[in-house]
Amino acid sequence: MEFLDDVTKLISDIPFVEKVYDFVEEDLLIKGKVTISFKELSTPLEFVVEVYKCYPLKNYDSDSIKFKNLNLLEYRHVMGDGAICIHTSHHTNLKSKLNYDFHSLKNWIVKYFINKDQDDHYEHIIVDEKLINNQYRSFLFTDIEYSFEKGEFGDVTITALQNGGFRGDSISNHIVQSFIRRSGEQLDCQWSNLYKNMGISYTGAYLFIERPPANFGKFIFTKWSDLLDHLPKAFLNFLLEFQKKFIKERGKLFPVFFGYKIDEVNIHWQVALLEIGGFPIIGYQLPNKEWITTPRNELDINWGITRNSSYKYFFGRGSFSQNFIEKKILIIGVGAIGSMVAKTLTRCGCKFIDIADYDIKEPENVCRSEYQFNTGLMDKTEELKIILGTISPFVETSIIEKDYFQGIIKLYHKEKGAKSNFENSLNQYDLVFDCTTDNDLMYILDSLKIKCDLTNLSITNFAKELVCAFYPNIYTFAMNQFMNVLENDTTDLYKPTGCWSPTFKASYNDISLLVQMAIKHIHNLYETGSRKNNFIIESDSSTLKIVEY
Amino acid sequence: MATDKHEHLETVLETHRMTHVQNLVDKFKEKRNEVKQALANHYGSDIYYPFDSGSFKKHTAINTKFDLDVVVPFKKDSFDTLDKMFDSLNDFLDDEYGEIATIRKQKVSIGIIFDEDDDGDVINLDIVPGRELNKDQYSADNKLNLFVYSKYGLFSSSTYIQTNIQAQIDHIKAKENERKIIRLLKIWNNNDGKEYKSFLLELFTIKAFDKEDISGNIWEKLEKVMEYIKDNATKDGFKLIDPGNSNNDLMDTLESWGKTNLSNRMETIIERINSNSDNIKSYFPTNKDFEDDDKSSSSVGYGIKTGGTAYSTPPKNERFG
Repeated sequence: MEFLDDVTKLISDIPFVEKVYDFVEEDLLIKGKVTISFKELSTPLEFVVEVYKCYPLKNYDSDSIKFKNLNLLEYRHVMGDGAICIHTSHHTNLKSKLNYDFHSLKNWIVKYFINKDQDDHYEHIIVDEKLINNQYRSFLFTDIEYSFEKGEFGDVTITALQNGGFRGDSISNHIVQSFIRRSGEQLDCQWSNLYKNMGISYTGAYLFIERPPANFGKFIFTKWSDLLDHLPKAFLNFLLEFQKKFIKERGKLFPVFFGYKIDEVNIHWQVALLEIGGFPIIGYQLPNKEWITTPRNELDINWGITRNSSYKYFFGRGSFSQNFIEKKILIIGVGAIGSMVAKTLTRCGCKFIDIADYDIKEPENVCRSEYQFNTGLMDKTEELKIILGTISPFVETSIIEKDYFQGIIKLYHKEKGAKSNFENSLNQYDLVFDCTTDNDLMYILDSLKIKCDLTNLSITNFAKELVCAFYPNIYTFAMNQFMNVLENDTTDLYKPTGCWSPTFKASYNDISLLVQMAIKHIHNLYETGSRKNNFIIESDSSTLKIVEY
Repeated sequence: MATDKHEHLETVLETHRMTHVQNLVDKFKEKRNEVKQALANHYGSDIYYPFDSGSFKKHTAINTKFDLDVVVPFKKDSFDTLDKMFDSLNDFLDDEYGEIATIRKQKVSIGIIFDEDDDGDVINLDIVPGRELNKDQYSADNKLNLFVYSKYGLFSSSTYIQTNIQAQIDHIKAKENERKIIRLLKIWNNNDGKEYKSFLLELFTIKAFDKEDISGNIWEKLEKVMEYIKDNATKDGFKLIDPGNSNNDLMDTLESWGKTNLSNRMETIIERINSNSDNIKSYFPTNKDFEDDDKSSSSVGYGIKTGGTAYSTPPKNERFG
């Protein structure tokens, strides 16, 4: 009772709380009502207040106090159960936290109830993500280059991704591949080729309804009757024909996507999952033999889960500059440094990353690179291409012929005309990273007359320093650094048992720290248009220092 | 072991001497003479006899990057306009050499890049057409008007520039100390992105010698010249007047950011070399093709002695990643 008494007493002390009543204690919370009244509010407002016993701490990530009023559903930031959506400051003191939260409620009343403010920021409509036939079902979509018209409909092709666990149950995940108009025109989603080339798992349908299928603009329709005004007859007939055609697959789920605009430019899709044989429609044949189809309004709509995974949402939280992400990039040598560069550029939104390496990934490479154990032995490029593709559905990666750089170029670079061929092949790129640590290749590449930007990255033993050199001053600089300037101790190397191939000593943490800083610096040089001076990153146990040359 | 900067720079100069590529130089000269003769034959009395200019003539050439320059002094009456002169020369060279070379219009010259020969050598000639400024006065005053090919930025609104190439050549005559520093700065520039015109570095060096007490060993001289460039490149009102045209200030060829970059580069280079003398090799590399093995295998280079330590230990220049 102590918590109940404390809370009600403190709430009563808040100046704009006119009345506190009916508070009772339940298992996990206390619950009662308050009446809010202040000068600007013409009529007092009543709220049901629920205060969880963890209060003033949060319950998971949510505030552990709820203010509910089902009469306010039409206003902004009110949830389906009438709860006002407020976010307040952390506090461990009960009195202070109650004051914060009630003031937040008051602010909401002023802003959204009295002033009826509209936010610039669009908020998606609220969908109750629920199990359908004992499984959650998600559909990820991305941009297409097409503007839908209201009422147009057609087929949708879908590819299944991996199944997994979701909120304690299973989920099947999918991507939308394309929308096929009634004319047969196929509108492909702008995924990378890796995804576009995945097989089609099944098909669905789409209907563009233009406006959100929601009450108050935020609560998704729950009954087919709600959708009645949005369903053209032709679309209902289309569904009926489909069901007839595939009736043998009775019980299978058929996704129907409803598209709508969320602003002048962007659209969103919600997906209803229909069971073949149980479509919410009835067909009637008229005396004149014509068929009409009507919805079965009383049925609930089973909404699946959709996510807009288009590039700008996918990388909305952070990416490299627009100029950088559009660069056509080649990474030669995808060992520890090269794989980290590739993965970082991918996570930073780069769209074109080709890779070249002749080497095989061994289990002992995994600990300090971006490779995985579960793929066993594999060409580094093959595995990295898959890894990059699994990170970003927008990165295009091609594997360059494995012998090209460390074999063919060396063999033929003295031949007449060969250099210009090599130059042409490199000039297809905007930015080339040489992470091979191959001195001979570095020498040849530095001697070419290329238009692309060539950047060379390598480190000293123990990852004490990272050396970054930019074309056309790569070979001389890097060699001098390793030979004369830096203390590259090559006497204390790791010698794997059973082979004479000593390698440097350094952990993933040692290397990635340097690589991340180098990439940050390089990106910054591009973003600011600064001169690309060669640089060394010096590391010790507590600091990293960039020394430009 | 610390690098002896003076000794290193002497090696840099030595390994970049043109005599190391005498066979190639001979090929260049042979082609140049052939072109000069062809021009004389074609234009006859419309021109004074073509003459050599550029780094060869000024003795500031380095063997890692060079071309030969030929000036063709046209007579005042040869063409109505400078652009007709420029186009005529371009057309003639294209007709004459178009099948065995790439002919291209450059800022004030026509470039001829002969196709790679069987030795893999590519010969570059720059042919600079100029029309005498005053009728029949060229032999006396050496003054020429050059056509400025319009696609180039700063001169885009201008179509000609007055110059006196002979005065430019005379400006560096008998200045051996300056020439060494110019060669070193060209080696640096060539190795560092070729951002600056050789003529700009040349005028900077000559002016530094003129205005400051540039003395000591070769490193000390170079350092002082670089200090001078660092201090003056961004200074308001600092000029580098073309000895061939007092209205032509070479500093105008640099944008503001270019001046800042140049000053910053000089500062960084001096700082890095003074903090570790081995860094001098990054900025002023020897030409490995002409370094003798004994020297290259010491701390100076990356040769056999340092590279080939005990066979079971990877060399120090082993890079990792």
